[in-house]
Amino acid sequence: MTERAVEETFAALFALIDLRQIFRDTKPTYQLNKEQERKIREITKNVRQSLDVIEKELIK
Amino acid sequence: MKQMIGDIEVRAREELFINIHPIQAAGRLTPEAMKAMITYGDGYSTCDWCRQPFRLDKIQRPPIDEFHLELAKFVGMDQARVVPGARRGFQAVVSSLVEKGDSVIVSSLAHYTEFLAVEDVGGIVREVPLNQENVIAGENTAQKIEMVKKDTGKLPKLIVIDHFDYMFGNEHDIYGIAKVAKEYDIPFLANCAYSLGVMPINGREIGADFLVGSGHKSFASPAPSGILATTEEWADKVFRTTRMVGDVTKRKFGIKEVEMMGCTLMGANLIAMMASFPAVQERVKHWDDEVKKINYFIEEFLRIEGNRVLSEMPRKHTLTKVDTTESFDKIAQTHKRRGFFFSDELKKRRIVGEFPGATRQWKLNTYGLTWDQTKYLAEAFQDIARKYGITVA
Repeated sequence: MTERAVEETFAALFALIDLRQIFRDTKPTYQLNKEQERKIREITKNVRQSLDVIEKELIK
Repeated sequence: MKQMIGDIEVRAREELFINIHPIQAAGRLTPEAMKAMITYGDGYSTCDWCRQPFRLDKIQRPPIDEFHLELAKFVGMDQARVVPGARRGFQAVVSSLVEKGDSVIVSSLAHYTEFLAVEDVGGIVREVPLNQENVIAGENTAQKIEMVKKDTGKLPKLIVIDHFDYMFGNEHDIYGIAKVAKEYDIPFLANCAYSLGVMPINGREIGADFLVGSGHKSFASPAPSGILATTEEWADKVFRTTRMVGDVTKRKFGIKEVEMMGCTLMGANLIAMMASFPAVQERVKHWDDEVKKINYFIEEFLRIEGNRVLSEMPRKHTLTKVDTTESFDKIAQTHKRRGFFFSDELKKRRIVGEFPGATRQWKLNTYGLTWDQTKYLAEAFQDIARKYGITVA
């Protein structure tokens, strides 16, 4: 295991906090504008990538 | 919310609801502060790189020392410290300046912790009455000082007045009061718990000797957190360092500040304040827009027949006291859920934070809501009114 798995764990947590902020900004209707949609796509993609790295690093 | 931390419910009301709670609005964390909470939650996390002279505000990594300098500049004072809530700021100043039997001038809308701080040292609070607009002015303060002087033969030792009060969210004339304080040569503490961190505040321009702010009320920070700032003139007194020497060990702890109890706000709370600081510096520039939003909301709220606003108008602050005795309370009189019908209706529309069951006089705060959310909120109140046959103009 390298530091990378830990780094990616924080990267994923931070990305999910950015998602949490989008919930806060758009509640209670959650009607997203284009920029928010783009941001959510980016967040989910980055979290998936982080999870892939964590899995690869920890489960050989 | 199904998610639990053991038997502790996950708090997701900020993600799921519009929260109009009067004192929670401006303490909501920024994403940066939330991230800081995750990484610095461990107990003595800020102490990893604590080196001589071993005091919190001197730590360079993370840059806590720099934050203190920047914070002082931000509030227009010479020195600043972080404290565990505004109340600890009052306590530090009162404990340094006031002795048993001394009088301290406070507002008739003073926060209770100002009373406690004075009581703690055996002082006596003397309240300045409100004028007809529920505001404390310099004139009333001067009259109260004269009254204290006449009654006790001595001037008060300190004046503590809230910039915006917790009851109405009214603005009090801290500039005029500072001027009066100077004329009588009495130190003045401006309690900016509801203003520092949401609007531009400059202690030097106000003419205050001490500024106190609240992290969890107005600085997008966790509780407890707060700010105490002062001038060079008073720093040596309020931030005095210990001179105590152990009689057996001869130990002394010279750098530690007595009123701060050494290190003050350690760990995640401080780092979260620091993390929110850039966003706070930016958001104070947009206070005008927050004021526009509350005034828009109030205009719509007052279209509901019977609704009244008890705070000063037009609104200068987002914290506002309203009266719905002649509207929603009339419905509550005959509703099987009594006043809780109102909370039920709000919750159905994903709105929380009102005082549950209250349908007469209650408070709300729109700080930090987007324009869309503000409009949604206004429409929700009107929708409830129409549902129960209350006229909406």
